[in-house]
Amino acid sequence: MAMAALRRGGRRMAAPLISPHPVNSLSSSLASSEVLNSVSLVQAVQFNYCASEVDRSQNMGYPPAVSVLVFLLNSYANATNASMTKLILSIKKVINFYGYTRYVYLAILSVDVKKNVIVAISSDKGLCGGINSTAVKISRGLHKLNSGPEKECKYVILGEKAKVQLVRDSKKEIELSITELQKNPLNYTQVAVLADDILKNVEFDALRIVFNKFHSVVSFVPTTSTVLSPEVVEREAEAGGKLGELDSYEIEGGETKSEVLQNLSEFQFSCVLFNAVLENACSEQGARMSAMDSSSRNAGDMLDRLTLTYNRTRQASITTELIEIISGASALEG
Amino acid sequence: MASNAAVPFWRAAGMTYITYSNLCANLVRQCLKEPHRSEALNREKVHFSISKWAEGKPKKPSRFLCSFL
Repeated sequence: MAMAALRRGGRRMAAPLISPHPVNSLSSSLASSEVLNSVSLVQAVQFNYCASEVDRSQNMGYPPAVSVLVFLLNSYANATNASMTKLILSIKKVINFYGYTRYVYLAILSVDVKKNVIVAISSDKGLCGGINSTAVKISRGLHKLNSGPEKECKYVILGEKAKVQLVRDSKKEIELSITELQKNPLNYTQVAVLADDILKNVEFDALRIVFNKFHSVVSFVPTTSTVLSPEVVEREAEAGGKLGELDSYEIEGGETKSEVLQNLSEFQFSCVLFNAVLENACSEQGARMSAMDSSSRNAGDMLDRLTLTYNRTRQASITTELIEIISGASALEG
Repeated sequence: MASNAAVPFWRAAGMTYITYSNLCANLVRQCLKEPHRSEALNREKVHFSISKWAEGKPKKPSRFLCSFL
């Protein structure tokens, strides 16, 4: 077990692309575990590893799903139950996979594939300004970019607003539409089940997720995240280039590379989808706030203007009446 | 640990990795004590309604509503 922990730590430290964050406390604690080599000390090492993972994950902006797993792990790192330890080890493997994932994510932007599926994320409720329209515009643009003689492009739509807009011209291209996502507060399990459904129902080479990234309360940038299917990743890895360097990772345990890639690709999809849904929800709230604020201000301005006009007109009519009465009276006297 | 040739048991049973990890997370959540347990189980509620489209027409939507498994 100590050797496994050491090897894991070694692989993490040898990968330059993953993290510039030095893990000095980890190496010293690993050295001491080699010397003593008792079960509780190894678990303490794993606990330190988890704690440093939490720090690293905060720094690297891991999706909340991975941080949640790490947090749950921390609560049970000192369990002595054998099955619990096994469960923890399998979860830790997931967290190790994430470094692998980030590498894949960075290298996939310029891959040309045959079957694209565009996942467009929008809101169910209205009154949120222009963010849904921008998301739909980007989806349409991507669709045009990706359709050609051999290529195929389909839509998966989350949310009512995008569905309404895309039904107008791309009815035949829609595969799935999902609504009522925000009835309960968003959580990872819901998005994971959704991702599972999408994976089961849709064939794809590459998934392009279109959403609004939250920049600040007034600025939302429409972005695209791409997730490749495991077959395409393998193909690109054979072909060389950036993804070919995936082979420099050592895969421990009894799994083959294609198995790892498949697990990884599924988990990556659900994590990236969760990130996208959360960012879109944030952008929706911000956009709604600024849209409502500007409409209140416009309504207030209009109210002021109309009040002035009303008062002026009223005073003018009173003045006219007074003038008529006075002139009438003076005509009688004179 | 699975051998090199065989698929892990859950993939042979038709589950994806996502379902497997959600099940594991569910197990861990159920190990908690109150009050953290109810808070954690609250974070597991799933609700959405999905409808498949065929030839430009949506089929009847199926509502997916469960506290996970």
